[in-house]
Amino acid sequence: MTAIRFNVGDPVQVKRADPPGHRRTPHYIRGKRGVIERICGTFPNPEELAYGFSGEPKRVLYRVRFLQRDVWPDYQGPQHDWLEMEIYEHWLEPVKP
Amino acid sequence: MNKGPHDMGGEEGGPIDTADHGMKFWEKQANALRLTLTRNRAVRLDELRRAAEDLGPRYYELEYFQRTTEALRQVLLEKGFFTERELAQKMAEVRKRYDGH
Amino acid sequence: MSHEHHHDRTPATGPDFDSGPPSEHEIMSRAMQELLEARGVISAEEVRRRMEQFDEDYPYRGARVIAHAWSDSAFKQRLLADGKAACAEFGIDLEADRLIAVENTPQVHNVIVCTLCSCYPRALLGMPPTWYKSENYRKRVVREPRAVLKEFGTVLPENVTLRVHDSNADMRYVVVPMRPAGTEGWSEEALVKIITRDSLVGVTVPKA
Repeated sequence: MTAIRFNVGDPVQVKRADPPGHRRTPHYIRGKRGVIERICGTFPNPEELAYGFSGEPKRVLYRVRFLQRDVWPDYQGPQHDWLEMEIYEHWLEPVKP
Repeated sequence: MNKGPHDMGGEEGGPIDTADHGMKFWEKQANALRLTLTRNRAVRLDELRRAAEDLGPRYYELEYFQRTTEALRQVLLEKGFFTERELAQKMAEVRKRYDGH
Repeated sequence: MSHEHHHDRTPATGPDFDSGPPSEHEIMSRAMQELLEARGVISAEEVRRRMEQFDEDYPYRGARVIAHAWSDSAFKQRLLADGKAACAEFGIDLEADRLIAVENTPQVHNVIVCTLCSCYPRALLGMPPTWYKSENYRKRVVREPRAVLKEFGTVLPENVTLRVHDSNADMRYVVVPMRPAGTEGWSEEALVKIITRDSLVGVTVPKA
């Protein structure tokens, strides 16, 4: 099983990658910085399942919390609004706090 | 950029039609068909999503259940549940049944 | 007396059929279903049972769970800790769905979307409304959520934090709205009546 690399509260950055094919990491969040909100568990990789492969070994899925102002430079709402989503481990990189 | 038509979060959009327009009978049946197939593991939800994403510009021309139907068709063909010809024949038969009334 | 057979059609589709000629996609969907049934991959009965679940069962579950959470604070804590287990305890099997329940408070309001497709906790809430699946909702609610909520008639004070959840992978979400004032002492049956589906997605709030 894959090791869990991040703990709740760790700052992380979403990879700035642009691979073809089925991905569950929306373009708008790539390259953005957030913090680990929780560890959801391990799941088969959807990027492989989408093409008929087993998706094994399972990957760790994290929930990541972002400040809206860190996602959209022109965000219109209050500075304390959040955006949260699930990101697979291989899309996350550590950040020095 | 490899951004698919489905990957639309953050793009400019218009006003939202906040009413729920429900589902037609065939859409309810199509939805039930899709769920039955994923629960039975005949197809995976991830495969259906991928096939919908691969629709390209047609993604925006189709309504939700039209997209899911075309995606399902694609995956079932890939997996050899039927051939294009068999599907076309069955569709002609179904069409006749509706018309020939 | 009854005109129900006046516009009758081939009984290929069942009790409530759609008016007008079938679209290509309807024909395609029916044809695929019949081919699969003929090959024994699925049965007509399985599909029919699923349709019934969506009509008669799933849409009514969410409000019952939330009404129970409002009435039993220990249950609410269990729901927030593990949505699927709490539902199971309450007699609701969410099947393949994993559930995260997010709570509205005086300081925090939650709203749910799936920008990439239309993931939704179907086994808890039934089918998503057409607006949830629409391009404009999927595009805009992650970026300008307060403007979107206004279109639904919901205005949040500036001091309330808005959490938008993009349901983009394996979890599904339900909002636990705040219980409105004026409902003290209400039975769960009475509470269920004011818990709208839209409030469980977070675009509106329940009103007593």
